[in-house]
Amino acid sequence: MSEPKPPPAWWAVARSEEVTSVKPLSSDIADQPIVLWRDKQGVARALEDRCPHRRAPLSLGCIRESGWIQCGYHGWTYDGETGRLKEIPNLKDKQKFPPLYKATAFAVHESGGFVRVSLDSTASAVAEQSATMPLSGTVHVSLTHEQYIAALFDDPGLLIGIRGVEFTPYLMSELHVENGRLIMERSCQWRGLHWPAPFSPEFPATVLLSTHPVTGETLLTLRDADLNEHLRAALAPVPASRGVTAVRWRAATCKGRSGLFGLLPGLGNPLTVRSSIDAAALRALKPTASLHGAQLRAELTMNSAAIAA
Amino acid sequence: MLDVVDRATERRAATNERPPAPGMSVNAWSPHSIVMQDAWFPLAHSFAVGQKPVRRAIYSHPYFLWRENGTPVGSEFHPNEQRLRDKSRHTDADARYPVMEKYGFVWGWFGRPEAADPVHLPSLPFLPPNGGLPKYMLGTVRFDCAAPLSLENLIDLTHADFLHADVVGDEKSESETIETFHTSETVTMVRNCKAKSVAPVMKFFSGIRSPVQDVRQVIHIYLRSHCAIAYGRFTPGDDVPLFHPCVPETRDRTRLDYAMNTSNAGFMFRHVMPKASYKVSRQDSSMTSPQSPRYMRPTSRRDLHSPLDAPGQRYRMALQELAARQEAGDFTYRDNVSADCSELIGLRRELFKF
Repeated sequence: MSEPKPPPAWWAVARSEEVTSVKPLSSDIADQPIVLWRDKQGVARALEDRCPHRRAPLSLGCIRESGWIQCGYHGWTYDGETGRLKEIPNLKDKQKFPPLYKATAFAVHESGGFVRVSLDSTASAVAEQSATMPLSGTVHVSLTHEQYIAALFDDPGLLIGIRGVEFTPYLMSELHVENGRLIMERSCQWRGLHWPAPFSPEFPATVLLSTHPVTGETLLTLRDADLNEHLRAALAPVPASRGVTAVRWRAATCKGRSGLFGLLPGLGNPLTVRSSIDAAALRALKPTASLHGAQLRAELTMNSAAIAA
Repeated sequence: MLDVVDRATERRAATNERPPAPGMSVNAWSPHSIVMQDAWFPLAHSFAVGQKPVRRAIYSHPYFLWRENGTPVGSEFHPNEQRLRDKSRHTDADARYPVMEKYGFVWGWFGRPEAADPVHLPSLPFLPPNGGLPKYMLGTVRFDCAAPLSLENLIDLTHADFLHADVVGDEKSESETIETFHTSETVTMVRNCKAKSVAPVMKFFSGIRSPVQDVRQVIHIYLRSHCAIAYGRFTPGDDVPLFHPCVPETRDRTRLDYAMNTSNAGFMFRHVMPKASYKVSRQDSSMTSPQSPRYMRPTSRRDLHSPLDAPGQRYRMALQELAARQEAGDFTYRDNVSADCSELIGLRRELFKF
């Protein structure tokens, strides 16, 4: 009996503001190159970043007034919705093409400030997300997608920083499953003079992580001891070429913070998503939560695949 | 909410899966998979619980503690929390946990709420029943390892001669004997050393001039509550009883709110010795922290043992036997844990009168 295939997933291949009708954007999911742009109606479109004519990257081309994308090599022009070839400029009159003449089109979904693409046409609809968070960025990290998620579970401080906040090794809740997502809550301290974490009776804050089991897309919430929210963020790690992980993120500070320490994360952008990792610290990092995580992710993925089948 | 502790049970219920065979082994055990229920856990020092909720966890279950009219209460929801999940099966209709206060600790029950009974509270005869030890004898340390590994570390005291030699002395002695006793709920180790190298902490802070001392050390573990008594009698020297709970906040993180009653010792030692926990715990953590992930998954590579490991082996077996009983649905106490254990641990009652 063969193993069920991993379920289709929606990968956050760009932030909404990166995708324009001015210039095509090159992105990728693992070894699959993708070109993104907006058509005349402003709808985000995604094709394989490869012209079927002579394999040139479509992302080196341009976007026509019609909203179609034109290859920069010989001018072949494609419709983003279907991938069908629309024009070969040098043919002038003869503009009827058989259905075979098309680029590979991918399903696109845009919400919460991310443009998501699924490589599998059977992917189920992605859940609508709340309002777009105003702070955002993209970094590329020399870790594989699996390694990135494992490090996020074991020590998020290697991957991100929150101004005024120190992560501790101590958990309020180890990794577990809630509503099909992986949840864990890590105790934090406010930066500055404080009792060392191993001897601290109480911690003033926690970071709650809610992670999609396949994509690793993670919602992060910083809360104080009274459960007031200080920061929300979404991290979207996507496997890119050559074992690199592209991490697109959005964040918003929360209103109603109180106290001196509550204010610290709220000035400007308090979130840093690191592009370079401390390799020595990573090497010494013991896999703990990630061991549970790998097992839970595998179980959830198998369950989803079985349901899909 | 599908909780960590509930996951295996829920899955088995959904799939008609039989409970796993106990798989008890002293050589290849998986302490992370052991979850104890129907037990009192010492969640906080009494002084730490006031009007404002403080947060604790048992096996990842949220546990908020505060006082109402001076009486401690426990809930799985913070009073400010918007309830986005169902309450667990470990609390009553109001999402409250059974909570009680004794020995200067607030104890929280974890398991079936209707089974909570003060008679299942461990006996700690060296602590004042109504609390009141000075704060310098109390403290909190944390371990990033599974609670059973932390207790196994404690019951094998030969580690102390190497890891904590600068505090309690090295392994040199004229003779050493180790005995083990157990019930269905406890494991007790008694170690007697003749003419052992004197503990440096006693040399410096108790003024012990002799280069050697006789040492009788007892580790008495309450399996279900994951807590232990560590009682050392040093001659010449002091009696040092320590309450050493290991609350499993998650399956691989442990919280230790300790109480060391040094009231019979001289001024310097009385104040300094309880603070040695900060040094000793970091020394322990340097070993248990990397050790813990290596016990997360079953492995065919077996641990090796020496004759000195008998208490640790008994602890592994006793804990697994209790876990297997609970896995099969038997949560009864077959032995009384609240019966006075003074005689068993050899407590000199004349030093600890309340």
